[in-house]
Amino acid sequence: MPSDTSSSTSDHDFDQNPQSIEEQLASVALTLSDGEPSANQETNGVVRELVNQNTQIAPEEQVQCNSVAAEEIGEVRESSNHGVVWGRTISELEMDGPSSPSSSGYAGERGSSSASSESITDDVVEQHEIEQVRNDDTIDGISDSYTPWLPGKRHEDEDDASISWRKRKKHFFVLSNSGKPIYSRYGDEHKLAGFSATLQAIISFVENGGDRVKLLRAGKHQVVFLVKGPIYLVCISCTEEPYESLKGQLELIYGQMLVILTKSVNRCFEKNPKFDMTPLLGGTDIVFSSLIHSFSWNPATFLHAYTCLPLAYATRQAAGAILQDVADSGVLFAILMSRHKVVSLVGAQKASLHPDDMLLLANFVMMSESFSPVCLPRYNPFAFLYAYIHYFDADTYLMLLTTSSDAFYHLKDCRIRIEMVLLKSNVLSEVQRSLLDGGMHIEDLLVNPLTRSGSSPHLGQHRPPTDSSDLLNQPYFGIGGPTGLWHFIYRSIYLDQYVSSEFSAPINTPRQQKRLYRAYQKLFASMHDKGVGPHKTQFRRDESYVILCWVTQDFELYAAFDPLADKASAIKTCNRVCQWVKDVENEIFLLGSSPFSW
Amino acid sequence: MGCSSSLPDRDPKQLGRANLENSGGGHDAKNLRVKLVLLGDSGVGKSCIVLRFVRGQFDPTSKVTVGASFLSQTIALQDSTTVKFEIWDTAGQERYASLAPLYYRGAAVAVVVYDITSPESFNKAQYWVKELQKHGSSDIVMALVGNKADLNEQRKVPVQDGIDYAEKNGMFFIETSAKTADNINELFECHAISDVVSVLGHSLPCYQKTSP
Repeated sequence: MPSDTSSSTSDHDFDQNPQSIEEQLASVALTLSDGEPSANQETNGVVRELVNQNTQIAPEEQVQCNSVAAEEIGEVRESSNHGVVWGRTISELEMDGPSSPSSSGYAGERGSSSASSESITDDVVEQHEIEQVRNDDTIDGISDSYTPWLPGKRHEDEDDASISWRKRKKHFFVLSNSGKPIYSRYGDEHKLAGFSATLQAIISFVENGGDRVKLLRAGKHQVVFLVKGPIYLVCISCTEEPYESLKGQLELIYGQMLVILTKSVNRCFEKNPKFDMTPLLGGTDIVFSSLIHSFSWNPATFLHAYTCLPLAYATRQAAGAILQDVADSGVLFAILMSRHKVVSLVGAQKASLHPDDMLLLANFVMMSESFSPVCLPRYNPFAFLYAYIHYFDADTYLMLLTTSSDAFYHLKDCRIRIEMVLLKSNVLSEVQRSLLDGGMHIEDLLVNPLTRSGSSPHLGQHRPPTDSSDLLNQPYFGIGGPTGLWHFIYRSIYLDQYVSSEFSAPINTPRQQKRLYRAYQKLFASMHDKGVGPHKTQFRRDESYVILCWVTQDFELYAAFDPLADKASAIKTCNRVCQWVKDVENEIFLLGSSPFSW
Repeated sequence: MGCSSSLPDRDPKQLGRANLENSGGGHDAKNLRVKLVLLGDSGVGKSCIVLRFVRGQFDPTSKVTVGASFLSQTIALQDSTTVKFEIWDTAGQERYASLAPLYYRGAAVAVVVYDITSPESFNKAQYWVKELQKHGSSDIVMALVGNKADLNEQRKVPVQDGIDYAEKNGMFFIETSAKTADNINELFECHAISDVVSVLGHSLPCYQKTSP
């Protein structure tokens, strides 16, 4: 039985008494009340983020934290509190007032009456309110009405003079250090030459002072900069995502660029500083737009972990065995995936694959059968590997990576062998079944909490299908409930893997899922804040949810509850979730010889 | 439009060798494999041509090819011989130019595609022809294809330019439309390819597609 493998991988203290985490929370509350009127917390129903007094962006961050729950109120406050804060690596400097040179670079000047950040803010507030009434997320292509996300670039006709362009909530730009545009999420890069030059001017202005600009705030907007040699990446966002999250997204965009071109593209800039990189990226809009889309639904983009498709242990073993067979014949990595979830993967000896590389690779692959050069930035940013990709069906695909450009026919033969084994051992049909059934359903935890730990560690099997449908038919199921658990993400630190529960009521729509995802992302950033963290626990309540985070040496748990959930029972539920994960870890994680470097 | 040919006589054995090089698999009289590569500027419709040929579909929103995709289509000849086309549909972007030899090496047939509404893509096609002449196998059979023939009103590259250039370089020439399926089967059944097949030991075949 599976239990022998589990003992080697984790020794989580699942039986930890709820009190201990309770205590941690209590001590947290003490620290909190230190600097702030504690009445505020309870009356508003908002438990504030555990904020530190000296983040680089401290004063404004405080304001933002206060407004976690009350966006509208926050905006009003911020409009009178606009200012530009320059986050710097060497020195920290704050500038006040609307006269910053930077504010004219973005969103000002051309459209509205004046270039002051006052007008920007007004503009934004007005626009934001409109969006809130309509739909917070339509601009990102997600709406309540399940409109499927379509790949590819939109709004190509826009440029920085278009009002619609300036109202987009989240822009991404890539430019060269000479100010030439390379990529823009919205609008035509070539028409954005002037705008790119402005961004370049901001960066080089600060660089000339021997410093480096990381973050710039203008009203509700954050401008995040990332310099990678001759390539500059900039995000301009009013989504209130934390700086660290936005920076991580820029890192991934840069990584995606390396997947396509490798770092040797730098040499082109050494030869010719005015080098135009856009032709080299021709046709890849779709890759970047799908990556940017994943920032709003795929937790792997901030967890830096991958997730597995839930499968019976033996099934995953069977897939792993044949992949291992192939890996021994000169394949560097063999990865079997279904959508963004790993079925199994193996690496040649000593070769290790970073979860971020997997994310970028999976984002890059396309349909059918192909053989393409790809670079894995965390493996070797300077070299191409060759990826043989084959789709067994619309969801499930095999990636075989090798260093040899001649290996197509060999890899094709490998694939045929693998396919035969997978068919014979029913792996592919099991994969399809798992895609339909999903993994961990919250309802299952609520059904029989007591019997679970002992006897039935198999996903799905312990759940007679009628159970869940009965429960779902109850009108208030999930909203009230004894504990009100809505969703959770569990990340195993040693495995570099996470598991996320299936979404169910009331987190039903893509828009709600995106909001929850953003809330997790924010908490993840605050839990890992280098200035004050890492924190161990955090209990945050706002008008949408209660989120409880719990970080130990072995795992991180992010759990979302009904906003009225009781703290003590939420903690108890978290312990049960951890126990549940432990019970089914053979099915939800890829255990054993992982090719990931720990 | 049809095919026009000005191909010089070739040594059948050489061609056979080029064709089978790198293909790894067995070659017997009954089952032939023809490696075919599509080259051309980004957006001229290479993937659409292939999808039309292999699946009989046209998807105007089809995605940009990244890297190169591999498709195969088997057609049956009258004498029950099968010809399996192994088609490399390459990405047209500049970044892959240096990697193209990976795909055209060992190919028996190269189909160079341009868009009749885009003179730039016609220039790019000429670049590919020169590239193949310089670095490709000396006996590769080349076909020049002007795609998007359905957009005749927006035509910027006269038919005659295509014919002239093809003649000068000993290529086959055809105009196609992946959208209307015009000339797509003709392209794959045209003399260029039947020559390859006949060189492999068969008289001019009459094609019949097997279901994909």
